[in-house]
Amino acid sequence: MSQTNQLMKSSPHVHDGDSVTNVMEAVIWALMPATAMAVMIFGWTALLVIVITTLSCLVTEHLFLKLRQRPSAIADRSAALTGILLALTLPPHAPWWMCVAGGVFAILVGKQVYGGLGYNMFNPALIARVFLLISFPAQMTAWPPVTPLFSEQSYSLGDSIAIVMTGKVGAPELADAVSSATPLGQYRTETGLGKTVQEALGGGYGGYDEVRAAGGLIGGSLGETVRCWGRWGGGYLLRKKVITWHIPVSMLAGCLVPATIFWTYDPAHFPDPTFHLLTGGLIIGAFFMATDMVTSPITSKGQIIFGLGCGLLTYLIRTWSGYPEGVSFAVVIMNAVVPLIDQYTRPRVYGHMA
Amino acid sequence: MFGFMHGGGESAADGGSPALSAIEMLPIPQRLYLPLRQHAGYPSVPCVTVGQKVGKGEVIGRADVWGSVPLHAPTSGTVVAVTACPTGHPTGLTQLAVVIEPDGAERWSEAVQGMVDPLNAAPSLLREQIRAAGIVGLGDECFPSHLKLTPPRGKRVDLLLINGAECEPGLSVHERLMVERANEILSGIQIIMRIVSAKQCFIGIEQGKSAAIQAMTQAAWGVAGVRVQGVPAMRPHGVRQQLVAALTGKNLSLGARLLDRRLLVHNVSTACSIHDAVWRGRPLLSRVLTVAGGGIARPANLEALIGTPLRHLIDHCGGLQSGVDQLFLGGPLLGQAVNTQDVPVLKSSTAVLSFLPAAGVAKPQQPCIRCGRCVEACPMGLVPAEMARRVRKGQLMRVAELQLHDCTECGFCGFVCPSHIPLLDTFRYAKWVLQAEKWGRQPPSVGGGHALSERDGTAGEPAVVAPPAVVMAEAVAVREEVTVGSASGKGARAVRAAHAARAAKAAKASRDQAK
Amino acid sequence: MSDNKTSQLITDGLWYNNGIFVQMLGMCPTLAVTTSAENGLGMGLATTFVLLGANVVVSLIRNFIPSAVRIPGYIIVIAAFVTIVDLSMNAYLHDLHKVLGIFIPLIVVNCIILGRAEAFASKNGVFASAIDGIFTGLGFTLALVVLGSVRELLGSGSLFGQALLGSDFHPSLVFVLPPGAFIALGFILVGVRWINAKRDNEAA
Repeated sequence: MSQTNQLMKSSPHVHDGDSVTNVMEAVIWALMPATAMAVMIFGWTALLVIVITTLSCLVTEHLFLKLRQRPSAIADRSAALTGILLALTLPPHAPWWMCVAGGVFAILVGKQVYGGLGYNMFNPALIARVFLLISFPAQMTAWPPVTPLFSEQSYSLGDSIAIVMTGKVGAPELADAVSSATPLGQYRTETGLGKTVQEALGGGYGGYDEVRAAGGLIGGSLGETVRCWGRWGGGYLLRKKVITWHIPVSMLAGCLVPATIFWTYDPAHFPDPTFHLLTGGLIIGAFFMATDMVTSPITSKGQIIFGLGCGLLTYLIRTWSGYPEGVSFAVVIMNAVVPLIDQYTRPRVYGHMA
Repeated sequence: MFGFMHGGGESAADGGSPALSAIEMLPIPQRLYLPLRQHAGYPSVPCVTVGQKVGKGEVIGRADVWGSVPLHAPTSGTVVAVTACPTGHPTGLTQLAVVIEPDGAERWSEAVQGMVDPLNAAPSLLREQIRAAGIVGLGDECFPSHLKLTPPRGKRVDLLLINGAECEPGLSVHERLMVERANEILSGIQIIMRIVSAKQCFIGIEQGKSAAIQAMTQAAWGVAGVRVQGVPAMRPHGVRQQLVAALTGKNLSLGARLLDRRLLVHNVSTACSIHDAVWRGRPLLSRVLTVAGGGIARPANLEALIGTPLRHLIDHCGGLQSGVDQLFLGGPLLGQAVNTQDVPVLKSSTAVLSFLPAAGVAKPQQPCIRCGRCVEACPMGLVPAEMARRVRKGQLMRVAELQLHDCTECGFCGFVCPSHIPLLDTFRYAKWVLQAEKWGRQPPSVGGGHALSERDGTAGEPAVVAPPAVVMAEAVAVREEVTVGSASGKGARAVRAAHAARAAKAAKASRDQAK
Repeated sequence: MSDNKTSQLITDGLWYNNGIFVQMLGMCPTLAVTTSAENGLGMGLATTFVLLGANVVVSLIRNFIPSAVRIPGYIIVIAAFVTIVDLSMNAYLHDLHKVLGIFIPLIVVNCIILGRAEAFASKNGVFASAIDGIFTGLGFTLALVVLGSVRELLGSGSLFGQALLGSDFHPSLVFVLPPGAFIALGFILVGVRWINAKRDNEAA
């Protein structure tokens, strides 16, 4: 028999073996330390929020693809990733209906109406967060104090279910569940009343402890509080070459450089750059949100422009807009200009003039 | 700086390469099949008759025009046939070949004569000697070397570049040649410099191949004007633009002529065979190939006579592993699938590869997630993802604006694509269509309908298709059916779509009328 | 005038050639004022009145207006009716008028009205024009009420001001804000096309 192969194909004949599913899985793994820390710090409610959000993303994806008569793409893990990312932007005591609404919105309006994975213009998780923030401002900014798992303040599983299922934060029977402002919120509110940064955040930033902030032990959304763990996961992604350094580095620079300049100029009214770095969602945004491949520029030059824009907008929104935190708005706004960036940052074709 | 440089996957795709195994001489096979078209240009004309005894190095295919080179008997023996034989092309097409049964005596033909004092000979004599020896560039193009060594009137060569990088990842032919035959290569380089009167020569060798760099540096010691230079381990240096940039810092477009920059590029195997031809009078009778890949039991670098059937090489390397059904002639990125082991080694063959089915080639296609890896990988600075999107939308003029014609078809984009999009096939298709339009033929109707379905993963399902797209869709479909398995039904669906293409067209027309 | 043609005018205006769902005209008031079903109804009826009046008058004068100045002429006719609506609503429906505000005078430039005047009333008799005006207007009203209802229901949990969904429902503020208008209209259009596609399939 002289026939060797039944299978004829054209070159290339080899592949590095990676797949979209692998990429998504790597990002999910990279999110695991942050997710685990979120659960540790906020207790069972955090776990419930994450599970409900992710499940609603998966169910929406499945049903919608069925409606569109397409093969189900649950297996590519992208919907699960969206769910986890969205959950990390929610407050720790987010009621169940908010999680579901966010998950459905993320997949339905954020992704599937554009044609599914690869065609969406905005980061689905962030567009859903923006939707929730505009729709339910009260619930989205109810920041309970940290209640680490297995500590005295922690809620039992039953209480946690009650919190998430009834949405009654600070109900009488859960007397200690009072809302506290995030450092960013405190800074905006108090400086808005004419106080200096030191007065707003306690003398010499006394009330706000950088070590606690880095470790995540201050109020905020799930992902906001676990920043050092988020950075750890981001490092993993960089090492695995799932993402490149361009977006995270330029986004941090875009926010921290103006922060340093203004702080040097007037420390009484502008907090120092470490405050910007360690509060809010800057780190998790820079490593996981802005780096979403579908909604970020395709060339490295474009990625740097995109990252700088995200960082700068974050700083502008945090300092001068009506919202205390601006990472999600910044990234979503920059998502909208990605086609333009792509158009003008094409690499120079070999041997052609620029 | 900033990683803006583009170029290749570094040392990617090493399919179990036998980087350091020494070149082995392959025993003479029972029969040699020598196709008469082995180089770019006119094929040689057979000048032997069946039953004729030939000596080693005797001309069996005459070169009637200056642009052609003769073909020689790789060993002594009897011509048993002048007939059609399969060539290394996926179509399995055959072409005219001289079949020789070796007698094992290795009797040299009297015609084989080296030159006396070649370094002082006239360039025209050297060129004639090289042409008579049937030397062609031993890369992928197989352009007759004497033509390359004849600069047009008014052009001259200042700098000779010698490519020591492998044509493709996973090969180690050049590396072994440089380690084992450094002096021959240097001698060949001097002859080339003499012919084109180049003052300087840079030998580019990938950094990290220290044995080769050492050997060549040693050989080049004291030779005026010759310098060994490490180049970054980026692929593909087989594409000369990359090598030129790495060695001289000059950026040349694909269309640019090297001679306009007073440059000339040859590779080390060609230099080696030029030495043999000039000093010893030996024609190009054999070449070194890498036999590798997970499907090969014992990977090796072999020096095989031209015309040796692949079967002989593979058997020498312990045969194919069980369950292997793919065989490629050439490198992993550019090589061609061959459908029979009876294909002979040609002057252009650089490697014989076979991969285990698990080499990750045939995974189902997923949507493009714009990860940008293809952009990073493209050595020409193109944006493959964007180009493929435009092709799928039928916006071929936009693809042309994105410099589709600068695509060298190196295949790196497809190699790194995590979505397993057949990018290279897409670009070949687009080039075909654009070319057809240029020729004034009826182009396939890709403007209105989606020639390749945009969203559906399978590259099949052409809505409105003319013959080439059908062929392509069928090819893809067949491949998918075999690899993905008919259980998914995807391949079968694509086949149906392709066959039903005209029906679909008619249906669409009638729908439009109804509106 | 055959009954057949009249009924076709009615169904076209209401559904098959609906100004919003099919022609996608007059998006400005559609997206801006439909924060509640009531506003949608008010805006729709005001527009319907103007459509009826403008169509009738344009049809009457269609043979006297030189074609070179017909558009300014139509605009003046429309503006006259809009002024009537504006002043009457200010007098009798003051609260609604305050809510709709600038969008009442802006009916003048509503593409649907000028479109019907130019495309239909200037070529047809008074009766047909009147029918066309009424039902195109009612189709517009229908679209606005549907959009307003959806937005009010999701954004405030009520319908025509009546709380419907109880205290456990958390209204989504985004639907009474401008982005919600686009999202809601998008999904309503999906629904309309889906219904039409289904009917076409059954008919085929």
